[in-house]
Amino acid sequence: MAKVLEGPGMDLFAKWGIAVPQHAVVTSLEQFDHLAGTNDWLKKSKLVVKAHEAIGSRMKQGLVKIDLDTAGARAATKEMLGRTIGTMVVSQVIVSEMVPHSAEYYVSVKSTREGAEVFLASVGGIEIESQWDKVKKLSVPVGEKPSASDLEKLAKDADFKGDLAGKTAEVAGRLFDCFDNEDGQYIEINPVGLTSDGRLVALDAVTLLDGDARFRHPDWNFSFAAEFGRTYSDDERYIQEVDSKVKGSVKLIQIPGGDTALLPAGGGASVFYADAVIARGGKIANYAEYSGDPPDWAVEALTDKVCSLPGIKNIIVGGAIANFTNVKATFTGIISAFRKAKADGRLKGVRIWVRRGGPYEKEGLEAMRALQQEGFDIHVYDRHTPLTDIVDMALRKN
Amino acid sequence: MSIVANKDTRLVIMGGPAGVNAARRMAEFCHLMSMPFYVKAFVFPPDAGKNAEIPVGNKILSIPIYRKMAEVSENHPDVNTCLVYIGADRALAAATDALNAPGIKVLSMITEGVPERDSKLLRRLAIEKGKVFNGPSSIGIVSAGQCRLGVVGGSYDNLVLSKLYRPGSMGVITKSGGLLNEIIWMCSQFADGITTAIGIGGDAYPGADFVTFLDMFEKDPDTKAVVLVGEMGGNAEEMAADWLAAKPRRIKVVGVVAGFCQEALPKGMKFGHAGAKEGQKGEGSARHKSDRLRSAGATVPETFGGLGPSIQKVYNDLRAAGKIKPIAEADHEKLPRLPKTIEESIKTGEVMVPPFVKSTICDDRGDEPCYAGYPASELINKGYDIPHVVGLLWLKRLLAPHEAEIIRRIVMLSADHGPCVSGALTTIIGASAGIPLAQAVASGMSMIGPRFGGAVTDAGRYFQMGVERGMPVPEFLAYMKKNVGPVPGIGHRVKSLRNPDKRVKELVGYVKSLGIPTPVLDYALEIEKTTTAKKDTLILNVDGAMGAILVDLGFPIDALNGFFILARTIGLIGHWIDQRRQDARLIRLPAYLANYATEPKRAVPEMEGAPEKLVGAKS
Repeated sequence: MAKVLEGPGMDLFAKWGIAVPQHAVVTSLEQFDHLAGTNDWLKKSKLVVKAHEAIGSRMKQGLVKIDLDTAGARAATKEMLGRTIGTMVVSQVIVSEMVPHSAEYYVSVKSTREGAEVFLASVGGIEIESQWDKVKKLSVPVGEKPSASDLEKLAKDADFKGDLAGKTAEVAGRLFDCFDNEDGQYIEINPVGLTSDGRLVALDAVTLLDGDARFRHPDWNFSFAAEFGRTYSDDERYIQEVDSKVKGSVKLIQIPGGDTALLPAGGGASVFYADAVIARGGKIANYAEYSGDPPDWAVEALTDKVCSLPGIKNIIVGGAIANFTNVKATFTGIISAFRKAKADGRLKGVRIWVRRGGPYEKEGLEAMRALQQEGFDIHVYDRHTPLTDIVDMALRKN
Repeated sequence: MSIVANKDTRLVIMGGPAGVNAARRMAEFCHLMSMPFYVKAFVFPPDAGKNAEIPVGNKILSIPIYRKMAEVSENHPDVNTCLVYIGADRALAAATDALNAPGIKVLSMITEGVPERDSKLLRRLAIEKGKVFNGPSSIGIVSAGQCRLGVVGGSYDNLVLSKLYRPGSMGVITKSGGLLNEIIWMCSQFADGITTAIGIGGDAYPGADFVTFLDMFEKDPDTKAVVLVGEMGGNAEEMAADWLAAKPRRIKVVGVVAGFCQEALPKGMKFGHAGAKEGQKGEGSARHKSDRLRSAGATVPETFGGLGPSIQKVYNDLRAAGKIKPIAEADHEKLPRLPKTIEESIKTGEVMVPPFVKSTICDDRGDEPCYAGYPASELINKGYDIPHVVGLLWLKRLLAPHEAEIIRRIVMLSADHGPCVSGALTTIIGASAGIPLAQAVASGMSMIGPRFGGAVTDAGRYFQMGVERGMPVPEFLAYMKKNVGPVPGIGHRVKSLRNPDKRVKELVGYVKSLGIPTPVLDYALEIEKTTTAKKDTLILNVDGAMGAILVDLGFPIDALNGFFILARTIGLIGHWIDQRRQDARLIRLPAYLANYATEPKRAVPEMEGAPEKLVGAKS
């Protein structure tokens, strides 16, 4: 899932023929002033200013201001830019034209296993949740497009009357085209506003795209918003950077307050290790994984960051029996980082638990076991010890 | 028996190096089973027309590489299965091509990061054609004792340890590829091993799911129970629960689902595979899935740690009910072993290979070359110079400072002698003919011999002989006149006593100033006194001086020409570069510089006994 913020989302709608309000993404007051000097709508229309960040409940946090004139919009921009919400800093706002409208509707397209579903309702805005029974659905198999008559029937089912049914069907069709051609996962317009001159305008955008499809969309000039509701830490970003450079993968997410560090192999086993710690009443200090036979230096970089997690008591170097990841080579990276961390005094009182199998398991496990001679508090097990037993051992002795 | 992959599987692999690597792993499986190799073809346009070399046992098989699936269908009509190892940007096209081929019944895709739309299109195509599309992100499929599709199963040792050489009673379906081996291993330890194990991948919209394969396992009489390993996200586990609950099923199901940790994580934080994107406690959560599976009748342990005992309990119950017969355990010692490479065998000390060459001067096996044992970088850092390297590689010892200085001077004095001498002229002609550096310099080098630059060795040899035999100078000269001819190292075309060779003066002067014993040089200078008395061009020339001095330093006689070669290489390379830089024209000797002393032009007589063909051709 890759979330796209409102500005680029609106631009995608416009690309596929859906009317959107005038809007601009602004990162500084200078930019605001420059735009206000060259764009008529910023002077003539009523304006809305919103923090252009992936922050939930913006309305409650005062990050949405409506019905503003140019000066009011400037003041709102000044007030929002640089505000800190949790770990996020507001670095962009979106200024848009406030479109007067007499009715609000709802339209969305959602990915399903068989293809997609188009949702349409003659209600919209915040009321939609409570009136979900008014939302009508049309399923479209993958590789096909909904016909104009299907869409018009959907609009009529959703209680659109007269030529409005044709117009909403058209907007739904264009939103489907946007979804289908832009590798959408979930795209929603809520609300669609009906203007006094009878036009339908997208007044908000929720756009989730398939990040894996980026290779075929050279015009995606936006970056995806963090999905976490927080920004990535320096260490997390560093590991993402390493990850982007190597064959295989390394991943790190820090979880403040935990005391059990995870350094497991493989995307499947790593979640079971996290489960095992929590089932034992422990608290994980991070999520990590390395998989697909990454080079030893990438595993070393990941290990180094794991050793730097504050307040950890145990490190779980777990892993299933690998298919093709070279246990000896990846362990070489882990061992180098362990040595460095120990020399820096980062592993004082930290116990290390190892369990692994796969190509060159004997050599890898022997090298780990040899760390005992260097004064590490390390406990090494092979395939004959079940996967998550090292977690039980680590937490039992606490 | 098994499902999806079996003894009749014939495979095409779409992909380059990763696909070839997977084929090698499959060849290891064939070796373990002593069965024929079932990978028949590759499709990989960049290498189309070539062959991939796959070691099977101790033989190398050549497997053809094609551009398109149609060529595979035409040349290998028995191919019924396709593995896709192509990058995410080309996977849709490649897999569509394969699914459209009439012979293909099963397609499994290992590619990760395939767009969801592409997976959905492929799934739809497969359903329409009545075919199996497994993946993307699938580690592969393995049927014990029958067929391995992909790298699943891991190393050869693991194939043996996990008893993949013979079928058991357990089916396995996991989303995680990394855990598939682990579950196969557990089935071999807590039960009697597997029939078929399948990785379906952790994508949001996989082509095949738990139900696809549960249906097949239900129809496979040898599979008595199936282990499912699921993850939070999507509804594949819920669908499996519905399948199990829908009607009485023959097979038992053991299930475990990853992702309980979500409940304890900060809101919005997710990790794991792409498909793991649903809510916390509701639909799609690990708890919801586990509960649904349990209430549908599956055995579901509280944690992954309970999975082994759960498998064991289900197996024991089936044994007790008489539904599984015990399998006699094979003696692992009697199974075929993977042939070791020579490198591996040498490492473990199992074989002794007589060396092909022996080197006593240089060892390059570490981070850097060691000259006679000394690391090159350390020599540099401690201030040693090129003459010391010459000493180490030619004499195997570190030269004393004065020795190094002598060699440095010898090289500097002999580096070049202008464009007219044989070596340089030949190199220049070569350069002007456009031949490359190495060949042009080697052409010049090949001029070095008795008349040009090659007298150093002989001069050293005879001067040393005279000293060793204690021959007075007249006796030496008489010996040379009788047995050898002109004395090597004595005499010059242009230089003389009155017009001495400055190079010789410099070199001899320096060596004499050192006050070291130089018996051979002294002897050569004595000879010069006698020969110049007869004719003033019979001086000790540069070859003679070098030869005498180098013998005094202890260099082996046969290597002495090496100093001239070493030094003159600098000059010859310079001449080649010089000609190239000028873009010199091809040198052709003008006809007026040739003396054409040949027979005058005349008629060729008929050849006696010429073959008729030739005679006929003439008319």
